[in-house]
Amino acid sequence: MTQTNPTPASPRRGVPAWVQVIVWAILFGLLALVAFGLRNAQQGTVQVGDTIPGFSLTLFDGYQYQDKSTVSLADFKGKVVVINFWASWCKPCEEEAAELEAVWRANQANGNVIFLGVDYTDTEPEARGYLTKFDISYPNGPDLGTRISQMFRIKGVPETYFIDENGVLKYIQIGPFASSAEIQRVIDQLLND
Amino acid sequence: MLADFGYGILVVAFLTSVYSVGAAFYGHFEKKQKWVESARLAMQLTFPLLSLAALDLLYLLATNDFNVSFVYEVTSRDMPLYLRLTAWWGGQAGSLLFWSWLMSAFATAVTLRNWDRDREFLPWVVIVSSVTMAFFIGLNVMPFFEENPFARFWASTLDGSVNAYTFQPANSVAFPTPDMVATFDGNGLNPLLRHPGMIIHPPMLYLGFVSFVIPFAFAIAALVTGRTDDRWIRITRRWTLIAWLFLSLGLVLGGRWAYDVLGWGGYWGWDPVEIAAFMPWLTGTAFLHSVMIQEKRGMLKHWNMILIILTYALIIFGTFLTRSGVLSSVHAFAQSNIGPAFFGFIGITFVTSISLLIWRWADLSSEAQMDSMLSREALFLLNNLLFIGILVVCFWGVIFPLISELFTGQKVTVGPPFYERATGPLFAGLVILMGIAPLSAWGHSTIKTLGRALWKPLIVTILVTIAFVAFAFTNREVINDYFPYAIIGFFAVAMTAFITLYEFWRAARARSRAQKENFFISLWRLAGRNRRRYGGYTIHLAVVLMAIGIIGIEMFQTETQVSMSRGQKIEFSGYTIEFKDFYSFKYEDNRWVNRAEMNIYRDGQFLTMLAPRYDVYPDGQPMTIAGVRSTMIDDLYIILVNWEQGSADLAPFKIYHNPLVNWLWLGSYLFIVGTLIAAWPDKDPESLPARVRGKQTPVYQSTSAD
Repeated sequence: MTQTNPTPASPRRGVPAWVQVIVWAILFGLLALVAFGLRNAQQGTVQVGDTIPGFSLTLFDGYQYQDKSTVSLADFKGKVVVINFWASWCKPCEEEAAELEAVWRANQANGNVIFLGVDYTDTEPEARGYLTKFDISYPNGPDLGTRISQMFRIKGVPETYFIDENGVLKYIQIGPFASSAEIQRVIDQLLND
Repeated sequence: MLADFGYGILVVAFLTSVYSVGAAFYGHFEKKQKWVESARLAMQLTFPLLSLAALDLLYLLATNDFNVSFVYEVTSRDMPLYLRLTAWWGGQAGSLLFWSWLMSAFATAVTLRNWDRDREFLPWVVIVSSVTMAFFIGLNVMPFFEENPFARFWASTLDGSVNAYTFQPANSVAFPTPDMVATFDGNGLNPLLRHPGMIIHPPMLYLGFVSFVIPFAFAIAALVTGRTDDRWIRITRRWTLIAWLFLSLGLVLGGRWAYDVLGWGGYWGWDPVEIAAFMPWLTGTAFLHSVMIQEKRGMLKHWNMILIILTYALIIFGTFLTRSGVLSSVHAFAQSNIGPAFFGFIGITFVTSISLLIWRWADLSSEAQMDSMLSREALFLLNNLLFIGILVVCFWGVIFPLISELFTGQKVTVGPPFYERATGPLFAGLVILMGIAPLSAWGHSTIKTLGRALWKPLIVTILVTIAFVAFAFTNREVINDYFPYAIIGFFAVAMTAFITLYEFWRAARARSRAQKENFFISLWRLAGRNRRRYGGYTIHLAVVLMAIGIIGIEMFQTETQVSMSRGQKIEFSGYTIEFKDFYSFKYEDNRWVNRAEMNIYRDGQFLTMLAPRYDVYPDGQPMTIAGVRSTMIDDLYIILVNWEQGSADLAPFKIYHNPLVNWLWLGSYLFIVGTLIAAWPDKDPESLPARVRGKQTPVYQSTSAD
């Protein structure tokens, strides 16, 4: 900061114009930056149409994908990926758990759809209990350090994200699906695109 | 019914604040003192109004009225009464009301002071305070923001969906329906927040935040009226100190909570929200120091204005960051609609304050010149620059994710190492200055005058530092990569401690000889006569103690992660730790408790039994409770690691050895004492009745400007 010390007799000096310009430029630059951050926060970091950056998920014991216990998004190139965020303490998640599993089983054979369960802030015993209860067979893993949920900026569980063959996010479902037909409809749409 | 009443009261409080702004403007420009007086009284009225609304909300919380969505969100039947009441600030809507309520308490207190000498400030202080208050109450009141703490659940009679609204929508009935009311239960407060530290940490921070609004209001009043002498600073000195104390306590309590509850063996994680609360503290601390230069020398007037504006702006900015979802953080509230409103408020605050400052710039010129690089004012200025340096580092770290997202599309967060490296030397510099600066004289100091006061404590410091290094070399296990920095840190801390203690001793001895008093009586009376100086010294000593704790945990912390089988013993940092037993059981509030029992030995001697716990609440939220053996030398801190299930025979532990960390908490107690000494009302003209004051010569200098 300027610490000029004019002697009491010196003429009254205001702020030079160029300093004013700089101050306002910095101020509005900062406000613009915050506005940009705010806009993103309101929308979430990932939006429909975005290419989803890579992430990897360590699966729960007993779950594997092509004999691997850690999967990354790149492994699913060329497939429609359905990412479901859930937690064992989440009641609404239970409403759609059986439906998700049913749709997974129906699509498993044709090989171009993969389901991924991401367990959000949970304990392993409870999570396992949940997976057993709904007999869930698609790859599932804990979101360690909530990295993946932060990347998607989920607002709660359940949320389901549909990513197409090229890694582009195509559909977001907030809250549980009401029926398996609804899930299948979104998948079919992506496959037919 | 009560909910609607509460909302109604909030609306009235909002309108009252808006009226008070309008009346103050009108009264000022039309030169009608009656209107200004009316504005003052309106501002006074907000406190009883908001208290009534708050009582209403507390009643709803206490009686489990789950028809009210806020009550549903933050409480449940199994929570004890004190937690249900303190859940008031456990969620966004309630904590906004809490903010406004505290703000109104301060605003009302300020209206009660004697305004005789400061009539011209009154309308502007009212305007700034009431605008701030109207903004915060407005967030609660405007249905658009969906933050009305009194919004109720309504079930649609058409499709059965349940939503929270302020007003009953068409075709709906109250939810829960009468047959459900008896059993319907709320969501419950996040178990992590069910901790004594968490109950008082937010109020302390908010108190600090809102009380800084008052000095800011006076600063703006001074700018607008052009009364730019140090009157506004003298009026607000105590407000600032109190604000600063609360803010400091809020930060320390947050650290204590993190240390006890979060289970990562630390107290400060450089989380964006922690930094958001820390930044106003930095500018506030710089402000506390630099106002003294204006009072004594009539200098740094611009600078003080900038600091108080920055402090207020950073408070609003920090609140915005926490509540808008712009930054991801463990502290953040849920996504909310209030972000844009905050953004607009920040913009208006910045633009108005800076415009005023530029307008009055010429009137704020200094009355004296800096004569010596070693004078008190020069060293205070250096102290300010160091604080601002730390602020710049923090600010950069906080907004860096936004910048990186703008340019690369990826949100890159900077981690603790960035902050630690960048601020470490600045903190060390501050500690050293803290010792030296009080020794230098106002106006003029030389190496010689400083040296005379310095050399004795300096010699002691060097001896103690040598002893410290020698100790380290005889106990080589403490020497790590940080050791050179630890020596520097220790030197700085020891020097400041000895200089400050020497100052106490020198002054008290001189007095006790002159007055033939007992040394301690002299010390007491000395502190009583110059509370500001000795309060300040006490705070400095407290900071030194805290710095010892910080050096200990930051530079000498060791940790290990082990899976231990029952009966196994391990050696760690001089302790023998035995995994004795493990219990897993359901507690009466339905949480599942996993409790390990560890026997701690040192040199074959049994010391204590520690019981780290891993509790899982019915909603699945886990909570880690560390087993801690705490002494002034070190803390042994054991946690049952989450995620994997501990079994009775094999359990994973994380063990920390945190040397000296207790000094951090000890220092914070002394800190409170010091601030209270400094802020304790003494017989200064400000607190004397007007008639007595009138006979005295004014203590402030007349302004050079205008």
